[in-house]
Amino acid sequence: MMKIDKSLIRVSLVLLLAPFVASCDDDEAAEPHAGMVVDKTTLAINETMTINFEGTADQVAIYTGDESHNYELRSESNTGFVVNKGLFTYSYSSPGTYKVVCIASTYNELATDLRQDTCSVWVNVIDDETEIRNISCPQILYDEVFAQKLGDSDWVMKLPRKVKYNTAQPSISLSQRLKFYIDSDSTKVYVGGEAFGSTTKYDLSKTQAIKVVSDFGTERDYTLYTVQYPEFETFKINGVEGELTRDEFDYSALSYTVTLPAGTDVSSAVPEFTLTAGNETAYIGDAEQVSGASAVDFTAPVVYRLVGVSPDNAQAVAESTVTVTVNFE
Amino acid sequence: MIKKFVKYGFACLLMFSLSGCEDFLDKEVLGYSTDENFYDTKYKLQSALDATYDILQSDVFNDTEWRFGEATADDVWGADEGLSSQMGQLVSFRFNTSNSYIRDRWEINYKGIHRANEVIANAHRVQLSTDDYLEYKQVREILGQAKFLRALFYFNLVKTYGGVPIRPEVENVDNLVVPRSSLEECYAYIEKDLREAAIMLDTRYVRTDAGKAGSGAAVALLMKALMYQATPGIRSDKWEEMVRLGQYFVDGMSMTYADMLKWDDSQEDWEALRKRLWFKPQELNSPTDPYEAPTSALPDLHMAYSLSYTDCYGASIDYIDQFFQTGEFCSGSIFEVVFKESADGTGGDTNEGGYVFDDMYSTAPVVWTTDNILTEIFGSDPRRSYNLGHQTYTPDGELCQCGPGKFVSLKWYTPVKERSQNAGDNGKNRRYLRYADVVLMYAEALNECGNGAAALEQLNKCKAQVNTLNNSTTLYVGGGYGYMRDQIWEERRKEFAFEWDRFFDLVRQKRAAEVIKAYGADRANRRGYYFREGVNEIFPIPQSEVDVSNGVVTQNPGY
Repeated sequence: MMKIDKSLIRVSLVLLLAPFVASCDDDEAAEPHAGMVVDKTTLAINETMTINFEGTADQVAIYTGDESHNYELRSESNTGFVVNKGLFTYSYSSPGTYKVVCIASTYNELATDLRQDTCSVWVNVIDDETEIRNISCPQILYDEVFAQKLGDSDWVMKLPRKVKYNTAQPSISLSQRLKFYIDSDSTKVYVGGEAFGSTTKYDLSKTQAIKVVSDFGTERDYTLYTVQYPEFETFKINGVEGELTRDEFDYSALSYTVTLPAGTDVSSAVPEFTLTAGNETAYIGDAEQVSGASAVDFTAPVVYRLVGVSPDNAQAVAESTVTVTVNFE
Repeated sequence: MIKKFVKYGFACLLMFSLSGCEDFLDKEVLGYSTDENFYDTKYKLQSALDATYDILQSDVFNDTEWRFGEATADDVWGADEGLSSQMGQLVSFRFNTSNSYIRDRWEINYKGIHRANEVIANAHRVQLSTDDYLEYKQVREILGQAKFLRALFYFNLVKTYGGVPIRPEVENVDNLVVPRSSLEECYAYIEKDLREAAIMLDTRYVRTDAGKAGSGAAVALLMKALMYQATPGIRSDKWEEMVRLGQYFVDGMSMTYADMLKWDDSQEDWEALRKRLWFKPQELNSPTDPYEAPTSALPDLHMAYSLSYTDCYGASIDYIDQFFQTGEFCSGSIFEVVFKESADGTGGDTNEGGYVFDDMYSTAPVVWTTDNILTEIFGSDPRRSYNLGHQTYTPDGELCQCGPGKFVSLKWYTPVKERSQNAGDNGKNRRYLRYADVVLMYAEALNECGNGAAALEQLNKCKAQVNTLNNSTTLYVGGGYGYMRDQIWEERRKEFAFEWDRFFDLVRQKRAAEVIKAYGADRANRRGYYFREGVNEIFPIPQSEVDVSNGVVTQNPGY
C-alpha cells in the first residue's frame, strides 16, 4: 500500500511539472511590429518633432539620422535613442534630409529569442532664417552702437561725429565694421552686393543695400541708412563763440556755454550758428531757428533740438539736444 | 478528550480576541504627530524651516550648482568631458532628456520647495502663548525665510528649465500632476515671495542668528530675478524696478511697505495681508508696539552691507578671506549656505558639505581653469593672484598640487586650520549672494535706463575697492551704452569668477551661444561648440517628469 502511494505521488509530480517545462521550450518572443507617427516631416531648425510609436514591442529605439545617430552607421558607434512610453521628441540643429529609423524589438524572458522590426521615414529640415535681429557698429571707439529698426526692412544707424573719452575727443569715421545678429549661422549676408566680412570696413556715408539669403534659398532685402547726430559747427552770441561740452554717455546730448561781458542783455539775443551738414535743421520746441535772424531769450538755459535726416529716407532721422547756457564774466 | 477541549477552547478564545483588535486599531494614537497637529508652536515651525535650509547644504544641491552654473560655461575646463559620460554630454550640450544631472537638479529644488511649502502652508496653525509683539515677529520671520527659500528654489528651476509647474502649497494625492506655468507666471510667483519676505525680515541677522536670510537677501534676489526677466538693450519696467530697489539698497533712498509689495488695496486688504504675514493685528497692538502701515518706511538697508573687505566685527580682512571662514558673514556677504562641522564625529553624511569644495580644490580637481582663461578673465587685475597653479603656495603655506597646466581658484580652497576634523564635513560656508552683486546689478540697470553717469559711479565703487589691493588708481571710463554695458559685464566676470553663476549670467545677457561656442571652437574636444542658440539656453524637462505625468508636463522646444 505504502509503495503504491509513493510511486503515484512521483508520477503525478512529473505530470504536473511537464507542462511547465514544455512551456519553457516554447517561450518565443512575440512578433514585433514597428510603426510610428511623425507629427511633421518638414521642420525648421530647432523645431520640435514629435514621434508617437504605434506598434508592438518590448523596447523601442529611434535613430534620428543626424550626426552620430545614423542607423546605417550603427556598427560604427552611432547610437539611437530609447523611447519611453511611446513618445519621443527631437529637433535638428542643421539643415538637411534625415532618415529616421524606428526599431521595435521583442524578446522572451531569458532573452534567448530577440526579434526586431524596423520602419523609417524621411524628414526634411529647412533653415529659412532671413530675419535680422539686430545690426551694430561694434567699434565706435570702444562702444558697440546698435541700429534702430524702421518698419520691416529698414534700419537706421545713428553715429556720433566725435565722442568724449577721458580728456580726448576722437572723431568717429563713417568707415565702420558692421555686425549682424541673425539666429542662424547658415544664413549669408551681402552688403552692397559683396559677401559680408566681419572685419571689412563699410562706407556708411552712403546708404547700404543688404541682402540676406537663407540656407534654403529665400532672399530678403534690407536697407541700412546712416545718420550722424547733428551738431553746431559754430555757435556765437554777440560774436562770442560758445564752448562745447560733450556727454560721454549720450552722443545726442551736447551743451554750449557762452561767456559774455557782465551786464549784457540776452533777453532777446540773435545767435549766429552753422550746422555741420546740409541735411540738418535747428529748432527750439517746434519753431525752426535761422542763424542771425531768430531772437532767443537766453536768461535761462535754452534747449535746441537739432534734426538730421538721411537724404535717401525722410523717416531715418537722428536728433540731438543742445543746451545753451549763458554765463557772465 | 480533555486535551481536545482545551485546544478548541483556546482556538475560540483566540477568535474573540482577534475580532476585538479591529476596535483597538480604530483608536487614535495619542502623541503621534501629523501635519494637522504638528505645527502648533513656533519651535515646531522653526524645525520645519531648518529642514528647508537643510536642502541648501545637501550634496546634490551644491553638486548641481557648480555643474550647471560653472562647468557648462567658459571659465573652466573639466576632467569628465568624454561624450560617453553624463557629465561630458552635459557640458558639451550633447545630452539627451534622460541626463541624470538634469533630473537631479529638478528633484532637489522641488524637494526644497516642498519643505518650504510645509512651513508656509502650516504657519497659520501656530498658537501663541502671549500677545507679545516679539512672538508675532518670530513667527513672521520664520515664514519670511521660508518664502525667501521657496523663491530661491523656484528661481533655480526657472533659470534652468524655463516655466515650471508651481506646486500647490498643500500637496494632495489626487493632484500630483501639475502642468507647467508660463515663465511670466513663475517669475510673478517668485517676485511675490521675495517682496513679502523683504518686508517680513530684519535687514540682516548677526551673531547667533547669522546665516538666516534677511531682507537684504530677499531684495538682492529680487533684483536678480528682475534682471533675469529684463533684456539688455531693451528698456523695460523690470530695469526701472531694479533701479528703484538699487536706490533703496545702495543709495539709502527710503521705500515704503506698499512700494516694496507693489501693494494694491483692491486685491488684498492691508489688515488681511498683515494677518496672513504674521504682523501683529492692529486690534491687539499695545501703544508701545510698532505698527507697519502701507506708507511706513522700510528699515534702512544701505548701511547693513558694504563693499569693504571687513569681517563681521569690522576688522580688515584680505580679499580672499571673504570666501574663507575668517570672512563668514563679512560686511559684503548677504547670504551664505551655512556649513557647520557636525558634532557626531561621523563621516558619510550627505548634507554636511563634505565634498562641496574638496572636489574642486584637490590634487585631482574635477574642474580647473588655465593660464589662458585667467589672462582672458583678469588681464593684469590683482584678483588673478587668487588663482593658483601647480606647485605654488596658498596664503596659509600649503603647496598646491592640482596638476601641471591646471589652475584652481582659492574661492574653492579651505585653509588648513578651517578644515573639519571629520571626513565628510565642510569647514566653510558657501557664499551665495554678495553685496558687490547688488551694486553691479544696480549699475547695469542704471545704464539700461539711460543713466550712464550714475552707472559709472556704481561700477567704479566696485573698482575702487579692488584698487585697494594693489594701490592702483585705474578706474572704468565713461562711454556710450554698449561700452558701459561691456565694462559692467567685464567687472562681473572678474568679481564673480568661479562662484558658479557664469553660465546663467551669460544666458540672461543673451550671449551664451556666442561666448560658449567661441570657447568650444578653440578646444580639442570642441566642448561648447555644439551649443544650440535658441535651445540650450534652458535645459530639457527631465524625461522622467514628462513620462510620469503622461505628457502633461510638456517638453521644452527643441528637445
